[in-house]
This record gives sequence, C-alpha cells and structure tokens, in this order.
Amino acid sequence: MLLITLKIAFTGSSLARFCSIALLAVVILALAGPTLIAWDPEEVDWQALETAPSLSHWFGTDLIGRDLFVRTLIGARVSLSIAIVATLVSVVIGIPWGALAGYLGGRADQIMMRIVDTLYALPFVLVVILLVVVFGRNPYLLFVGLGAIFWLDLARIVRGQTLRVREALFIDSARILGLPTWLIVLRHVIPNVIGPALVYATLTVPGVILAESFISFLGLGVQEPDTSWGVLIADGTQSMQSSPWTLVFPALFLALTVWCCNMLGDRFRDEMERATSRTHREVSAS
Amino acid sequence: MARYLAARLGYSLITFWVIVTLVFFLMRLAPGGPFDGERRLPPEVEANLNAAYNLDKPLAQQYVDYLSMLLSGDLGPSFRQKDFTVNELVVSGLPVSLTIGGLALLFAVLAGVSAGLTAGLRPGSRADIVVMGVTNIGIAMPTIIVAPLAILLFSVTLNWLPAGGIGSWRHYVLPPLALCLPFAAAIARLTRGSVAETLSEPHVRTARSKGLPMHRIVRRHILPIALLPVLSYLGPAAAALLTGSVVVEQVFDLPGIGRYFVQGALNRDYTLVMGVVVVYAGMILLFNLLVDSTYARLDPRIRLSG
Amino acid sequence: MKTCLAGLLILAGPYFAGPYLSAQTLHIGNAGEPETLDPHRYNLRLEETILTDLFMGLTTFNATGETVPGSAASWDVSDDGLTWTFQLREGLQWSDGRPLTAYDFVFAFRRLLDPDTAASLAYFMYMLENAEAVNAGRLPTSALGVQATNARELVLKLGKPYPYLPERLLYPTGHPVPRHVIEKVGDNWIKPEHWVSNGAYALADWQPQSHVRLIRNELFHAPAAIETVVYHPLANEQSAYNRFRTGEVHAVGNFPAGELDWIKANMGDRLRLSPLLSIVYLVFNTTTAPFSDVGVRQALAMMIDRRVLTDQVQRSGNQPNPSFVPEIVDQYQPVALPNGTMSQAERIAKALQLLAAAGFDEANPLNLTLRYVSGTEAKRSSLAIAAFWKRIGVETQLHQSELKVHFADLRQNDFQVAQAGWFGENNAEHYLGLLVSDTGNVNYGRYHNAAYDDLMARARREADLATRNAILREAERLVLPEYPVIPLYRVMIRRLVDPRLQGWHENPRDVHPARFLNWR
Repeated sequence: MLLITLKIAFTGSSLARFCSIALLAVVILALAGPTLIAWDPEEVDWQALETAPSLSHWFGTDLIGRDLFVRTLIGARVSLSIAIVATLVSVVIGIPWGALAGYLGGRADQIMMRIVDTLYALPFVLVVILLVVVFGRNPYLLFVGLGAIFWLDLARIVRGQTLRVREALFIDSARILGLPTWLIVLRHVIPNVIGPALVYATLTVPGVILAESFISFLGLGVQEPDTSWGVLIADGTQSMQSSPWTLVFPALFLALTVWCCNMLGDRFRDEMERATSRTHREVSAS
Repeated sequence: MARYLAARLGYSLITFWVIVTLVFFLMRLAPGGPFDGERRLPPEVEANLNAAYNLDKPLAQQYVDYLSMLLSGDLGPSFRQKDFTVNELVVSGLPVSLTIGGLALLFAVLAGVSAGLTAGLRPGSRADIVVMGVTNIGIAMPTIIVAPLAILLFSVTLNWLPAGGIGSWRHYVLPPLALCLPFAAAIARLTRGSVAETLSEPHVRTARSKGLPMHRIVRRHILPIALLPVLSYLGPAAAALLTGSVVVEQVFDLPGIGRYFVQGALNRDYTLVMGVVVVYAGMILLFNLLVDSTYARLDPRIRLSG
Repeated sequence: MKTCLAGLLILAGPYFAGPYLSAQTLHIGNAGEPETLDPHRYNLRLEETILTDLFMGLTTFNATGETVPGSAASWDVSDDGLTWTFQLREGLQWSDGRPLTAYDFVFAFRRLLDPDTAASLAYFMYMLENAEAVNAGRLPTSALGVQATNARELVLKLGKPYPYLPERLLYPTGHPVPRHVIEKVGDNWIKPEHWVSNGAYALADWQPQSHVRLIRNELFHAPAAIETVVYHPLANEQSAYNRFRTGEVHAVGNFPAGELDWIKANMGDRLRLSPLLSIVYLVFNTTTAPFSDVGVRQALAMMIDRRVLTDQVQRSGNQPNPSFVPEIVDQYQPVALPNGTMSQAERIAKALQLLAAAGFDEANPLNLTLRYVSGTEAKRSSLAIAAFWKRIGVETQLHQSELKVHFADLRQNDFQVAQAGWFGENNAEHYLGLLVSDTGNVNYGRYHNAAYDDLMARARREADLATRNAILREAERLVLPEYPVIPLYRVMIRRLVDPRLQGWHENPRDVHPARFLNWR
C-alpha cells in the first residue's frame, strides 16, 4: 500500500510526479504558510481595501482589506481538514459495514448492501443543508454530515475485497477456534482489506472538497471570520467583475487540488487493479 | 424478474418513509418559527397563525396528520408562499427543474459517451490524452465556478444568451451546460474504461478477426456491454444532478424546486421543504427503479434472486 | 436506451410562454419573491412595491413619493384629533366595473383586524378605536372605530390622537379589498383568474420565483401609460446586476457595491442614488453584563468611525447617521452626538479608561459576540466594526444568521450585541418608540429608562405635530448618551434604471409607482 503510493509518487509518470508535488506544496503552504506571512488572516489593511495583487499583498486583498493570500491558505487548511476528517468518518463507518456485510454474506449481506444502494441514490447534500439550517453552522457538523454521505462508496469496495479473503485459510481457522464474529472481522478481515480501502478513501477527498464548496456557496458553510475555499469562491463570484482576483486565486487552488487528487486517484486505482488479480467484476446488484 | 422488482419497490417505499420522517422531525427542531418576521407579531395573531397551519397540535399528531395528508397526495399549504399550496408550487417548479436536469443528463450522456468512445477505442492515442485531460479538468471545475463564469462570458460580455430566468429556449442553454460538465466528464471516463476493456474480450476479438466493419463492432458488440457501467452510474448521477441543480437554479434565477428548497430551508417553510424532499426522493427512487429494471433486462449475468 | 430515459424527463417538462418582450412591457427587478399579494396579510417591503401598483388606499403616493389623496378626495380632522372624516373620490370603481364605496373600506378595515385573518401587520391600525380588543378577539369586528355615513363618506374614530394617519394609510394594511369576490370565492380571490383590485394595475399572472405580471386597469381614474409591468424576484445583487446589463430588466434595486465606481464611469446615466428613510444600528442587550454598564456601551460606541465605515469599507453611498432618528426626517431637528469632537487618540484613551473602570484590560480583555444578518454588506460592516473594537483590545466573535433566525433571536433577547435596522416612516416617533420599555419584543435590548418612557408617553398624547416633535427631540437627547443603541448609518438606495424610462424620481421612501412611468 505505502509502497504503491511511493512508487506512483516518485517513479510514476511526470504527471503523477507533478500532482504529488503540487499536493504536497498545497498541504505545506496550508500548514506553514499562514505563520510565515506578515499578514494576519483577520487583519484589516485600511490602506488597501479591495486592491489588486501587489508586492505587499501577493493575491490582493478582499472587500474589507484582508490579505487574500493568507486567507486562501487558511481556507486550504479548513477545506482540507474538513475533507480529511469527513474521509475518516467515512472510513470509520464504511469499512466495518462493508467488512461485516461481506463476511456474513447471505441475507444479512443483501439487506446491508441494499441499504447502501438505496441511500446512495438520495440527494443527501440536501439533508446536510437541512442539518446545517437546523443545528447552525459549525464545521463539526459538516465533517460528520459529509462523512455520512461518503461512506457508501467505501462500504461497497470493502465488501468486494472481503468476499475475496473470506474463504482464506486463516479466517477458517479463526472460525473453527470459535472466535466471535466481531473479533474475526476486526482482527482478521479488516487488516486484510484495509490497504485498498484506504486508497479508495483518499479518492473521497476531492468529493468532500467539492461538496463543502457547494454548501458554502449557498451561504450555509463555514462562518466568518473563518473561511474555506468554498466561502472564498462564493465571495469571489459576488465581486468577480470589479475585483476578479478574489475569485481567481481560491478557484485555482481548489481546482488544482481536486484535479491532482483525481489524477493520483486514477493512478492508484490502476496500480491496485494491476496488483490484485482481476478475479471477478462485481456487479453491484449481486 | 417480477419478484426482483417487487422487492426493489418495497425497499424504495421504506426508504421513502424513512426520509419523510427524518425530514419532518428535523424541520421541527430548527430554531425560529415560520412566522418570525422583522416586525413584531402580537401573541393572539401568532396563535391564530399557528392554528391555521396546524402547528398548535402535539408533534405526534402533526406527524400523523402530515402522513395521512401525504397519502392522499396533498402536500399542504405553504407557510411562506401564503397564496399557494405546496402542490401548486411543485406543479409550477418541477417542470423547470426536470427540463434543466433532463437536458443536462442528455448532454452529459451524449458528450460523455462520444468522448469516452473516441478515447477508449484508441487508448494511448493523442485523442485519448486530450479527452482525458479535458474530462479531468471538467471534474475539477465545480458548477459554482463554471456557472458564474459562463454568465459573465456569454451573457454580460458577449450578450448571446440571457443571464437568468425562464422564457424562450435561449434560457435553457447555459444552465444545463453548466450543470452537465462534471457528469459528462465522469461518463466519459467510465465509457473509456469499459470500452478499452471490452475491446480485449474474446467475442470482440473474434468479430474483428472476421473483418467486420468497425462501426458495426462498436454498435453490436462493444456498446451494449461497455454502457452497462454508465447505466448503473445514471441512478446516482440523477440524484447528484438534482443536488447540483440547486446551485444552478440559484445562480440563474430559475423558478425550479431546488430554489424553493433553499428558500424554504432558510425561511422555515416546513411544508415546502418537506414537499420538495418528498418529490425529490420519490423521483430519484423511481428513476433508480427504472435504471435497475433496464439493467436487469440488458445484462444476462445479473442474478435476479433478490 | 439512454436517450429514451432522458427523453422521458424532457417530455415531462412543457415549455413556457415567458414574459412578453414587447417594447411596452416594463421589467422590474424586485428585492425578492412576494410571500403573498393579499394586502392584509403582507409583511415585506418588496410586497408593498407591487401592492402599491395593484391597490389604492384612502391616501396614496405621487410620483415623488409624497402622501397625496388617493381613493379619498379630501378629509377633515376633529379638534381633539380623534375623528377623521374622509370624502371618497367620485366614480370610484373596481377593476371589474363594480362601484367602490365607503362600505368596502369598512369591510377592509374589519377584515384586517379580524383575528381570523391573522394579519401580522394588523397593529399598524391599532390607533383605531377598539382595534386592539377586536384584533385580540375580545370585541366583535363591528365594534371597530370605522363607519360609513353613506357610499362616499367614511369616518375613522381613533383611540388616541395620531397625527400621522394619512401617512399610515399609505400602507397596504389600509387598502380596500373586493368584498364581492371574497364572499364568493374565499381565499382564492388572490388567484389571477379571480383577481379584482382598485389600483392602476391588476394581477395577470404569477409564477413563483419567476415573475409577477401586472396588466393595466383600464377603469382606474387615471390609466397608466405602460400596459404590462413584470416584477422579477432578484434577491441576489450579482444576478440583478447581470440581468440589468443584458437588458432583461429595466430597473433593479441593488447591485454589488464594488461595481459602483465602474458604473459611475461607464453607465452613469443609469445610476440612481437616493437616501432611504432608515436607520441601521447596533443594539446592546442591556439585561446582561457587561452591556448593562453604560461605560462599556459608551467605550464601544466611541470607537465606531462611521465615516470610515460608510466611505471606505462599504463604499456604497450609505450616509453616517449619529442620531437614532434618520437626519432626513421632515420637521425634526437632528440631535448632535455627545463627544462628537474628540480626536482618535483621545477617544482610544477615554474608551480604555471606561473599559478599565468596568474591569477589562489587556490581561482580561472584553470578549463579545456580534450578530448580523447574512449578506455581503452586513458582513463587511461587521468585520470593520470588529476591527474598530480591536483597537481597544476587544475580542469580537462574529455570528451571522438568516434574517428569520436573527430577528427571532433578537426578539427573544438572545444576543449580546447585534446589528438591526428600522425603516420606513417619516416621523421620529417610529424610531424612538423602539426604546420605550413597553414596546415589547422589538425593544430587542429590553432597554428601560423611566424618564424616557415618561417623555415618550407625553409626546404620544400630543396632537400638535410641532409640540410633539419638540418633546420627541428632548427624549432623544436624553437617551443617546445612555447608548442603548449605536446608530450607524442611513441606507443609500442604489438603483440602476434604463435611461429610456421617464417619470422615475428618486425619493426618501424609494417608491416608484408604475403608473407614473412611461417610455421616452
């Protein structure tokens, strides 16, 4: 798993290398950038209200004179952490669900996967919007709400992987030893499927970033003075004619991140498929 | 087959009920009642309003009342759009949403399948690289960026198409285009993958060695198999399209039900929000049933035991 | 297969006959979607705009927004200011040709105050005799102080003097409604197919979130020039601006403030700026510490630089308004702000001193939450205010919420400091009344000051306008240095209007009845 990651990142095509480096750069900037820049994300520069990029403000300033560069990086921090936490939430729900369904098989499997199929088809972002309206805007809600949407993919993948290891010798022996089901799933099934599952989990990161930006665009996302890429883009579209830089920079960052994640995700998937023999093509209805 | 569909229908109905219940109680938890305005409301008047909208009864009673109303096809009066019932609003907004969503789905399938086919038939070619590059950008550009930019370019600057609202066919060009981009890209990628895979399958190789013309191989042997993943993507895509249409309707001032949903959620218009969710959920479940039954008919490999 | 699925979806969507784009039709961008067009159930300013075209009350607006006789040709007031006798205009009729009489007005006022109507603005007419008791269901509607002497004479009896009655009658709460239709079709009278009204226009068609189309009422005593008027709900500034620039609408009520300079330079002939009768202010919750402390309130108030706020941050033409009554209210002398002449450094020193007296310093900074309604302009000004307060070490948390939630919480007294606004009338009492302790929940901060209450009560018993205003002014001078509120600015209405449109006059009420408009 880690080997594949490293292999793609450093020996893969130049495109994959570019994407890895770009993502790494975004993450490092998000983590370290705000402390290195002279401007505080909430500091108002009364001399430079809504000004174009310059030497002192590399990305210009926003409507009330805050440095857009540092705010874009803070936005990166928020968007990325929402994406990562939501992904973790999806891992916590999706992996046990898929592993249990795959391990149990039969009726239980059918019911569990049917639930996944049905939930999959619902406009859950609308439900997240309702949650936000009802419980007020806080990032934790977004984490959980978005994670609760994105676990579905993962459950499917993990179930497929589990089906392959279910009949393995060591699981049979665990069963013969009389271990309880939950312990078998926890000790023997999950460790054997977690590799590919985590790779697929990283693919949900761009999905969450987009979903967050969508909710922020409707004005239901993160609260000022905190910010996220979605909030910055929403503000930017409100002033894109008079001050295009307020839209361009956050949009570039978001698009670049999502694009790189997708490219790398594709490579991951290809490598994984090559690595694991193609025993079957699962049809979701089975 | 019939048993399979009946079971599917059963699951759909249960899901439907769960959604209705969930949303009903969620809306009631929201802070701020539907009649809070900027100006003051005397208590007597508020009591009258609550009585008129059945809000003075216990919550359980309201829930039962709502369900029985729903069964008779009545979505109730709108709390905020006082001159309309929710049924009237849905009848007025749904055609707009369906037109935008349907056109976007059509554009996405047409553009996605053609691009995916072009790329998949010649993997590694220049066409393939271009298509995949473009689709990757398409996926990375969310509607919230594309739609305002499209308005700025095609409406405000070039003045080719209107910036919003409904009216002539010209109003139905930009919104579906802005909406369909990520889906077209996703379909292109799916098609490319499965076309490339199908090419290497024995029956296709046999057909090629027999010297059949390529367009016939594509039509007879490749597309029917290669489109299966696309077909099963259409269900979730329809759900995602409706979600996306909320943004598009907002940006383009379209009087669709997605816009009602956002307005309703912000204004605590309980019945309207419920109505929109009920209609959305119903439509999506129906669409999935349709996709499933088509899938079952097309794919001989499917086991219809469920 | 796939086309067949998509085809199904499209077949389900019929195409629409959209707004006619004939030269005669006037397309106006309204601030949002009306919730109702029933004049007695309305609640929003944007509904007032449309209702003013559809109905005409006893008084009405002229082209410049002044109060002039409407359905009434003239009126007399008794010496005690309690009995108002209105003579209706001759030959009044409804849009279906039925004569309109004083009895229709009696029906309308009774309907407004009938508790079954559940009119949220019924209290607009509480000055009528017994109105409050009728609205609460304690008296029958027939007890209301409204009588018709004959078909053309209407008598309004008041419970206490109310010199602003002609102005109050402008509101849709004073509009007549067609009794003959309501008695036949009930609540459906509001549908276009049953529509009957007495204004210059009648309702032709209403597609929610898309448009409200009005058609000229040929039976109006002075028929309008433009035949069809379409109101589009354009709540979003950016899309209102876009659609004005593409020529889809001829007048819009707002646009992104950042565009102001570009518009001035490139389409100055379309820009219309006019001050609105309004006050935007910060309100303190005076029931909780530390905002119950006048010193703390004063320190925070002193740090607000209204000029910087309006001219540098907002840049949308809003005017600083240091007193609570908008400075453009007629016949009212604005009250000057205490400490108006200090320098910036003196202010900071004084404010720090006041905070220290309340126990706040660098080690123990004042932490507060400032609430505002979500929206670009409120957000900008809140951020700027937080920056002002940071100068004296105050840490400000910002909390935005939707209009509904914001004011619901304010009325429930659930806030520390909040932005609020009060709009509309050309009289000082409308604004100062907010701070009277028995005003109820719109006195958001639950401010209580017995001396102020006494002055306000004295003013309200006074029928003579000049004396009344003098007492009101005394009350404002008493209350401002107590800082229950920090008045900030008056709103500047920024409109874009097609230069081909004639008869569009800026006015402080920002009303532009369509019947006075015409194409050049």
